[in-house]
Amino acid sequence: MATVSIDKLSKHYAGGSEPAVKAVSLTVADGEFMVLLGPSGCGKSSVLRMIAGLEPITSGTVAIDGRPMNQVPAKDRDIAMVFQSYALYPHMTVHANLAFGLRRRRVPGAEIDRRVRGVAEKLGLTPFLVRKPHALSGGQRQRVALGRAIVRDPKVFLFDEPLSNLDAALRVSTRNELIKQQHELGTTTIYVTHDQVEAMTMGDRICIMNKGEVVQIGKPLEVYRNPADAFVARFLGNPPMNLLPARLEVAGDRVVARFADLALDLPGYALPALKPHVGGAVTLGIRPEDLYEAPPPGMATRTQPIETRVVAVEPLGAETLLMLTIGDSGPEIIARIGRDTGLRSGGGASIAVDPQALHLFDPTTTKAIPRTA
Amino acid sequence: MRLWLNHLRRTPLVLFLILYTIVAGGPFLWVMSMSLRTTPEIFDNPYALPVKLHWEKFANAWFNSNYGTYFWNSIIVVVAAVALLTLIGAMAAHCLARYRFRGSRLVRFVILSGMILPPQLLILSLFQILLDYGLYNSLFGLIIVYVASQLAMTVYILEGFFAQLPQDLFDAARMDGYADFEIFWRITLPIGIPAIFTTVTLNFIILWNEYLYAVVLLTDDDKRTLPLGIMHFMGGHQLDVGMIATGLMIAIAPVILLYALFSETMIKGMTAGAVR
Repeated sequence: MATVSIDKLSKHYAGGSEPAVKAVSLTVADGEFMVLLGPSGCGKSSVLRMIAGLEPITSGTVAIDGRPMNQVPAKDRDIAMVFQSYALYPHMTVHANLAFGLRRRRVPGAEIDRRVRGVAEKLGLTPFLVRKPHALSGGQRQRVALGRAIVRDPKVFLFDEPLSNLDAALRVSTRNELIKQQHELGTTTIYVTHDQVEAMTMGDRICIMNKGEVVQIGKPLEVYRNPADAFVARFLGNPPMNLLPARLEVAGDRVVARFADLALDLPGYALPALKPHVGGAVTLGIRPEDLYEAPPPGMATRTQPIETRVVAVEPLGAETLLMLTIGDSGPEIIARIGRDTGLRSGGGASIAVDPQALHLFDPTTTKAIPRTA
Repeated sequence: MRLWLNHLRRTPLVLFLILYTIVAGGPFLWVMSMSLRTTPEIFDNPYALPVKLHWEKFANAWFNSNYGTYFWNSIIVVVAAVALLTLIGAMAAHCLARYRFRGSRLVRFVILSGMILPPQLLILSLFQILLDYGLYNSLFGLIIVYVASQLAMTVYILEGFFAQLPQDLFDAARMDGYADFEIFWRITLPIGIPAIFTTVTLNFIILWNEYLYAVVLLTDDDKRTLPLGIMHFMGGHQLDVGMIATGLMIAIAPVILLYALFSETMIKGMTAGAVR
């Protein structure tokens, strides 16, 4: 159990034009499950590898329980890591794979065997202990990789996209297994993924990275509901948030967001917060699930209608996605509505929007405009 | 009809294989038959099959022609050289495949450039160096020369194989607490077994048959290796063809044995990475 803190961590690879990681600071509390989320190439794996000690640090510090780790070799950091490729030793049996780390630490043979069998039992690997990795399925290999980390009882777990090689069904069950194990063990965990569903469902907190920088850190729903900038807004959520160019204008004693021929109220924002942007351009964000074919009961009074044309209807079974243009040829937006809809592509549709759920971003900096002054 | 067509289509391939087998195996079978015949019998009719099998020629070669000594000299030199080559070559290949260090390209170039230098070019300078260090006319000197001469090819084959091993395996071992040399010993070497068998077999065959370095760097009869021993039967005025054939059969036996044991592993090593 440990606290991991990284301070102004940077990584500049030889030959790279700019740093892969730029002054990343982050603290992972004891027992916390932190997810590093971002698109490929955003530097999240580099951060993980620097914490592990597998990659030299260009500048900044990594500390575990307050003790700087920069000069401590990977083998002495007491960290276990699960790799995307599982990285099981192909010439060893499952038992030997699980025992490999303990052997190095001079744990007595009987104790090794007891711990290996305990972990194998916990992960359902007992029948496979004498097999070699090539004789295991993808899911079983994944569990061996997880077991190899667990059996050592390390201070910190690091996961580098461990589920991305599994098929969809196995991914869901393994994800739940991982959450269960982490809760039982209570080990501090840092988990790297580009999959927002994994991030939302697994993390106590998520840290979103883009272009080598931390964009936002927070609890999953908090980040989803209040994205710090347009990148986070688009990255979290599937389909992504609709972003539309708009202007803020004064209409009587209110400030409205005007785009196409529409003027949308902004009840979610305090007037003083909007004042500096009045008369200027903003980016208006609407999540697909905040658009309705018909306003839900109790919301009819607060929703506003948008006249659209249906470009395409995508029934997904549990829900339906609508590709719409605002007006006849305005910007395109996506709405996520219920599974039963009478809308057909090519027809018109009056879509209700909940103004309370609108987001505003500064189009120059892409940062979110604060809701209060 | 279809079966017949299939047979017809295969005919050129089968003919080629038969021809290749005759070209490759014919001389071997000829030497094998000569090894069991006496020299007068051979001169009488070179291509005849043995009428009486003269097995005593093998005992004669072994005991009376100093073949036992040549054989054990060859075993000592080749086994020691191959063992050293495997260890040093694997360590060098592991470093070149795994670590990026300043000058690594230069080191690789220097090691691999050994492959393009023919032994005829080096033999005089090697002779002088061994003489200076008191290693001339010693098995130890020959072992060192053999290691140096085959190191480039060994590193070349092993590095190609080791470079294909996923980096994650080595990172995982580091996270499991292992230091660099332990990782080489416990991960690279066991996983690299197919490639290592390939180099062991190739080096064994090449060095077992090596003649030029041995003939220049060894002079005493009791230090000669097998290829020199066989030449022993080629005197200035006489050519004991029968005994040369017997000597060749003794010399070739360990190579055939080694190949029979390791050929499958060797092919695996040669084709590793070709198919995922």
